[in-house]
Amino acid sequence: MRLYEYVARRLLLMIFVLLALSVLIFYLTRGLLPPTTALAAYITPRMDDSAKLSVARALGVATTSCPSYSAFVSLQGGCVVPLWGQYVGWLENALAGNWGLTLLPGISGTDTTWHVFFSRFPYTAELAIAGAFLTIIIGIPLGIVSATHNNKLPDHISRMVSLGGYSIPQFWFGAVLQILFVLYIRVNGSGLLSANSTVATRCVICFSGVVPGEIARYSGIPLLDGILSLNFPYFWDSGVALILPALTLAITSIGAISRIVRSSMMEVLRQDYITLARSKGLKENVVIYRHALRNAILPAVTVSGLLVAYLLGGAVIVEIVFSWPGVGNASLAAANVLDINFLELYVLVTAVIIVVTNLAVDVIYAKLDPRIRY
Amino acid sequence: MKASKPEGSQSSDRYGRRADLKYALHLLRRNPIVLTGVAISVASVLLALLSPLIVNPTSWDQQPLNLRLCWNNPIVNWQIANVFNCGGSAVYPLGTDSYGRSLLQMIILAIPVDLEIAFEVVASAVVIGVFFGGLAGYKGGIVDEAILRVTDVFLAIPGILLAIVLIVVLGRSLPTLTIAVLTTWWPYYVRLMRSQVLSEKEKPYVERLRAMGAGGIRILYGHIVQNSIYPVLVQATLDIGSVILTVSALTFIGLTPSPLLPELGNLSNQGIQYIFTAPWLILFPGLTILIISLGFNLLGDGIRDVFDPRLRR
Repeated sequence: MRLYEYVARRLLLMIFVLLALSVLIFYLTRGLLPPTTALAAYITPRMDDSAKLSVARALGVATTSCPSYSAFVSLQGGCVVPLWGQYVGWLENALAGNWGLTLLPGISGTDTTWHVFFSRFPYTAELAIAGAFLTIIIGIPLGIVSATHNNKLPDHISRMVSLGGYSIPQFWFGAVLQILFVLYIRVNGSGLLSANSTVATRCVICFSGVVPGEIARYSGIPLLDGILSLNFPYFWDSGVALILPALTLAITSIGAISRIVRSSMMEVLRQDYITLARSKGLKENVVIYRHALRNAILPAVTVSGLLVAYLLGGAVIVEIVFSWPGVGNASLAAANVLDINFLELYVLVTAVIIVVTNLAVDVIYAKLDPRIRY
Repeated sequence: MKASKPEGSQSSDRYGRRADLKYALHLLRRNPIVLTGVAISVASVLLALLSPLIVNPTSWDQQPLNLRLCWNNPIVNWQIANVFNCGGSAVYPLGTDSYGRSLLQMIILAIPVDLEIAFEVVASAVVIGVFFGGLAGYKGGIVDEAILRVTDVFLAIPGILLAIVLIVVLGRSLPTLTIAVLTTWWPYYVRLMRSQVLSEKEKPYVERLRAMGAGGIRILYGHIVQNSIYPVLVQATLDIGSVILTVSALTFIGLTPSPLLPELGNLSNQGIQYIFTAPWLILFPGLTILIISLGFNLLGDGIRDVFDPRLRR
């Protein structure tokens, strides 16, 4: 099979998985609950019956021919759209980017689900990317050191870290970090953050569209925006605020990656070509980092799809512990009020990211390792 | 673990397997890390079984609110301004929670709740995994494809997200919590069992059984599964800890049947609100989770090292 055939097959499969998932989520959020419950979150007692009915129609649960809200509530024949009809309508809307209203107050004040979700999503993305970064720069070296110093002190330390990472409740780790840094470790009198007013006013070169005194939002990701608008206090503050949440998010995956790198590195180091490299008189560092690591890193690449899933899921907990303004935090609020529009969008966007990452990982893996056939 | 295994002891005949097991137990006994794991996990299970005898199991319902968030254990000084002293003669070794209950008692009552859910989830996942994974691996073809695609769908979203949606929709109770976590957990076991069966079914003894006229079900569940289930059981041991972590994370974010319920994540949920005034309330329940899950992870790691000859050195 050629590469493009493989990718085409995987894309088809991907569409199937996403469709099946949308059916699953749709059934969970609307099929299991009576239509009035699904609606309950979006109507308020103050609305009059015609307003309630139009909300029901917008949500796709009431037919256009339904005469009145009371007829809908009593589930009169011809008033409630059958479930498959609801799904088709919902899917059409969803593909058109029309995800209805959400109850959550958006950062920017408008409240379509789409808008609220994507005004919060950059914060989650920032957290997840930072978590992935920490996982790679801490986890991989830990694994290498562990394999090259097998059964010596660095190995024991690294295995302890990895085991701890597996066993530690993330919310607890986050809380302990907060307790330590807030109650017991004083960085300096006022902490590391700049005063709020400095952050807003100090863009060195204010690009067009940025009012001095306001924080520029190009991407929504604070760290990136800080650089783009050359607002270094804002960049610094965003970075400082990111350290503890990112570390909390990464702690488990650091353990996982270091364990995988350790075992694959140990296997590679036992192979003949490593013995050959050593007998040629190459320095140990060259043998390990040039020859062994290239092969040892491959299994770590295959799990990076899982890693993304893990980081996006873990973000929910970390965001709650650190009051991070991302989508994970909002999803709990959405769950508590049964804001199904938001939950559906959240689940599906996350699923798209994971499925696409998995595909990309498999293609990259095949490119990196010529032994792999599609 | 320096000794190397004798050649050919991988064979599946009775004597070989018994010798294997004996050797494995010998290795287990010599490994202090595994022994620690055994000690912790046995102790936590024992504590869970005995907890109704140690602590009055109805005491979680009493709320002496005048004792909220107090601390009178002289061993630890939190160095926080205004820590409320419980006073009186009763000692609360780990302080009290936000309902005035002794935190130590609540933790002891919480351990069986978490362990029970963990065992239920893992046992059900193993059963589902053995059944469907075995079927997929043995039958192949369209059965395999169908089962794999279903697992694909469930693996495309982070487990915790699916669990949140499920709990919200099904209602908040301990059974729905169990079901929600199980829903996110079973696909891994199906895949693991499938891959085990795939490699096991090519062995000559399967051919021999088939020639003897044994039926598919008997070959699969009577022989193949028996010979290839070790990695699944190791994974199950490791997953006890992970399930406790997931369950407590879900209850930590507030998806509990009752805020009063003594459950480790739920206790931590109270704690996060008073994190800087009563840090013990989040420190100790979380520490309990860490210790229990560490115990099962050590145990599972040790068992895997012992049963996987490639890792033996």
